[in-house]
Amino acid sequence: MKQDVLPRLKDLVEVLYREVPSGVGSKGKLRLGPEDERKLLINGAKWAISKGYGDASDLERMESNGCMDGADPSLISARAYERGRAQQGTLGSGNHFLEIQFVDKIYDEQAADSFGLFEGQITVMIHTGSRGFGHQVCTDFLEVMEKAAKKYEITLYDRELACAPFSSPEAQDYLSAMRAAANYAWANRQCIMHWTREAFMQTLSATPGSLGMGLVYDVAHNMAKIEEHTVNGQKRKLIVHRKGATRAFPPGHPELPDVYKRTGQPVLIPGDMGRASYVLVGAEKAMEETFGSSCHGAGRIMSRHQAIRRAKGRAIWRELSDKGIIVRSAGRETLAEEMPEAYKDISNVVDVVHNAGIAKKVVRLRPMGVVKG
Amino acid sequence: MSLEKLRRLDDTRLEVPVDYKPGMRVNGNIYVDRILEKELEASAVEQVANVATLPGIVRASIAMPDIHTGYGFPIGGVAAFDHGSGIISPGGVGYDIN
Repeated sequence: MKQDVLPRLKDLVEVLYREVPSGVGSKGKLRLGPEDERKLLINGAKWAISKGYGDASDLERMESNGCMDGADPSLISARAYERGRAQQGTLGSGNHFLEIQFVDKIYDEQAADSFGLFEGQITVMIHTGSRGFGHQVCTDFLEVMEKAAKKYEITLYDRELACAPFSSPEAQDYLSAMRAAANYAWANRQCIMHWTREAFMQTLSATPGSLGMGLVYDVAHNMAKIEEHTVNGQKRKLIVHRKGATRAFPPGHPELPDVYKRTGQPVLIPGDMGRASYVLVGAEKAMEETFGSSCHGAGRIMSRHQAIRRAKGRAIWRELSDKGIIVRSAGRETLAEEMPEAYKDISNVVDVVHNAGIAKKVVRLRPMGVVKG
Repeated sequence: MSLEKLRRLDDTRLEVPVDYKPGMRVNGNIYVDRILEKELEASAVEQVANVATLPGIVRASIAMPDIHTGYGFPIGGVAAFDHGSGIISPGGVGYDIN
């Protein structure tokens, strides 16, 4: 509960900052040999759990059980391996964060109950991905795709749309490499979640059972997946690209785990570090209109440069601390780039998807402590 | 850009009509209300239209209310392509995979 954590909040943020490496190009505590590297890319979160990071019961509450089948480590460039090697188990910088929050408002009692959420409860949200590894996979394959688009004579209205016919070898290679990067991201968050639980136990002198830090859900938001959707009454196999968009499957969807089949999939929507975040639940309209997808976050309204300019001469950490939010960041610039006013108001964003019926509001979360890269 | 070329479908959706620019195969659908409409970036709307030109795109080029300009595809974008006639694009996923 909020009142239990509040007196130790400062210590908690410090311990989390120390235990979870963050910042640009930050290096982690994991040192992986080639065999572990390969297994991690094939097995995702399962690899992390096999190494003692977290519990097997976490897997059920992850999109695709924290692992994409069909990842192929042999398609990964030496440069990607190099960039990824030291970064496994790190938060990174940019919009990535780890946030201690509390549930401040319930919109849907039943769904909240099914997700294990209640008013005044402490939650932790972890936002990070495949780090430099995934970045390099994207860079490598953009080059491949530019050539492929020419080869297969695809008209590109912008060269950044570089792509290949799904049936081509170039497309299949990208898919397998992207899946390896997705698995890297799942393993990464699993390790960080494990250290987060440890930090709470250590700081609050608690046992795992008494803390009740179960996973609500782990969801991806930058992925391409093969899914079956009904279009004009016909079932079709599609390649669904979600970029800064979250899967939002409604109740009854066959891909949902038993725990969420009746309620629908939890949809986590992080906001900026000063205002709020939300948990939503996937709804039927998402299947009819958006291929089972919802928004991902608040969305920037200022470029990073604009934000840095606007923050000049201000102490963003103090502005947040005046609102009772403790922030610890590896870099001063990150705080400026990520300051609340650089983003749209998350409440407006969430209202749109709620009113459109593609995902429904379940709870609102308020930030208390933030670790930024 | 011509925001006036966009058509409001209902309280939560703006349509980028298929004749917004040459080569579009489907409409664009942007989920924004009248508040967030004011924060729409011209370049992001352009990207929604660009994605609609790609082979095998199904139903619509879709964008969520957190839409902003990304590499090729807008961030906050959803695009589905036919398994047989469609494509896959790294720009549709972005650099921060997963």
